[in-house]
Amino acid sequence: MDDMPGIITENSALIPGYHRLTVRLERPLGKVSPGQFVMLKVPDPEVFLRRPFSIYDARDRTVTVMYRVVGKGTDALSRARKKAPVMVLGPLGRGFSIPPAGACLVIAGGIGYAGVRMLLKRLGKRAALFLGITGKTELPLLSDLKGVEVLTATLDGSHGYHGNVVSLLKERFAPHRSQGPTIFACGPKGMIISLKEFLEPDKVPCQVSIEERMACGLGLCFGCIAETKDDTNPFKRVCKEGPVFDLWDLSL
Amino acid sequence: MGPLAVDILGKTLKNPVMNASGTLGYGIEIEPLWNIDILGAYVTKGLSEKPHHGNKTPRVWEERCGMINSIGLQNVGVEYFFSHYFPFFEEKKLPIIVNFFGFTEDEYVSCARKIPSHDLIVALEMNLSCPNIKKGGISFGKDAPAVHNIVRAVRDVTSVPLIAKLTPEVKNIVEIARAAHEGGADGLTLINTMPAAIIDTRTRSMPLKGGLSGPVLKPIALRAVYECYREIPIPIIGAGGIMDVEDALEFLMAGARAIEIGTATFVDPFTMPKVIAGLNSWLKENNYAGIPAITGIAHG
Repeated sequence: MDDMPGIITENSALIPGYHRLTVRLERPLGKVSPGQFVMLKVPDPEVFLRRPFSIYDARDRTVTVMYRVVGKGTDALSRARKKAPVMVLGPLGRGFSIPPAGACLVIAGGIGYAGVRMLLKRLGKRAALFLGITGKTELPLLSDLKGVEVLTATLDGSHGYHGNVVSLLKERFAPHRSQGPTIFACGPKGMIISLKEFLEPDKVPCQVSIEERMACGLGLCFGCIAETKDDTNPFKRVCKEGPVFDLWDLSL
Repeated sequence: MGPLAVDILGKTLKNPVMNASGTLGYGIEIEPLWNIDILGAYVTKGLSEKPHHGNKTPRVWEERCGMINSIGLQNVGVEYFFSHYFPFFEEKKLPIIVNFFGFTEDEYVSCARKIPSHDLIVALEMNLSCPNIKKGGISFGKDAPAVHNIVRAVRDVTSVPLIAKLTPEVKNIVEIARAAHEGGADGLTLINTMPAAIIDTRTRSMPLKGGLSGPVLKPIALRAVYECYREIPIPIIGAGGIMDVEDALEFLMAGARAIEIGTATFVDPFTMPKVIAGLNSWLKENNYAGIPAITGIAHG
């Protein structure tokens, strides 16, 4: 873990409102586990705190994140130009733990894809991605994903399965069930809750990456917490004990 | 001890730089980035007699020149701190200030009783001012007689030096500081966060009320330090929006014996090491022998 200066080398809109940002760092980020994140200092004096982003890719001296413009910080970031200086703190948090063998089903909703993209790359042919998006206009987000089976659900029915991604999983889960798969998920809270309801009867092993407002990203401030079933200490830090949690430990 | 050394409450600290309570976790979390024993002292996360779970999310929200938090004093409890985290500071021989609070006067007293006397414990820092906890409408820090009484009650059960950490949300902070002093406080920490709120226009709601911190607070804190330094004859630890060495110098010149850095660490986790190095260079460049030579110098 380190805090390093870098220069933006790419900040392109893949589709309106969704950007991919690459930063060239002074030094390599070090060993990254899929699911870990960075805290980025947005190059705009109006943005006071850093912002957390899942690591989308990290190689040599570059780190890439994908983000959706949702508020003041991401809006300012979307307007940052190439060569703008940023500070990158990371890699942070606890990522996914990848089982040594076995099938892996990865469930992503919308920009949640950014949180599992590195995992998908690591898993390669072991993984199938169940992706939930609004419509086919969001398909370009996947443009650089190769060698992974992708099953798509669109809310408007414009591509693949018509409906939400958990309904799609329900429909296709039967052949996977016998193989004792591990599920990985990242997406909106509603998706995680309906995924939990579906997996509940068999308590299928499932790791979820969750999102929360953060201040420090280092476990210093206790500003980002997830409620768990641990009676003595229910509030865990998303930035430190997470952002990846065992679904069955969370109180949702 | 080098040129940054300061004497406070009967101890000599190697420099006047500390973290503000609750902004450096339990201390161990910063270790991957820098060694915590560079600090003059570590100030613990606010501890209570029993563990406390704190508030639900959202707990933090950004403001233009700062942030608002409503953590709700989540902590492991005073006994767990001393059994699990204190050995880390013992190993490093790093002095600590134990920040603590209660929801009732009795809880303040029983929490203070559980804090042992130890060479490394510089003082107890009484949180009389958290905006995020109020039970039964009691706010301990805003009324001079109440401050006097609660400080006195704690004073009676501990021999460890006692610091009162005060809220800026009072009519006259000098009056509150005097009440703390007369109640038996040996020092003051000025100031805690300021009660504030957020409105989210997208959801047309108020997602968070809590304590405002960051650079927006600095001039308010400086005034509190400046005025209490003139009137109250006990050491002051300055806190509130210190972002860099220049800010730290302002507090020292206003009369602070030491300073606490909080929110700045979230923006740049290396703020504290940078301030320590910056103070060293500043003293050299300006030909001062040490920190005491500039403490309160703004008073002429």
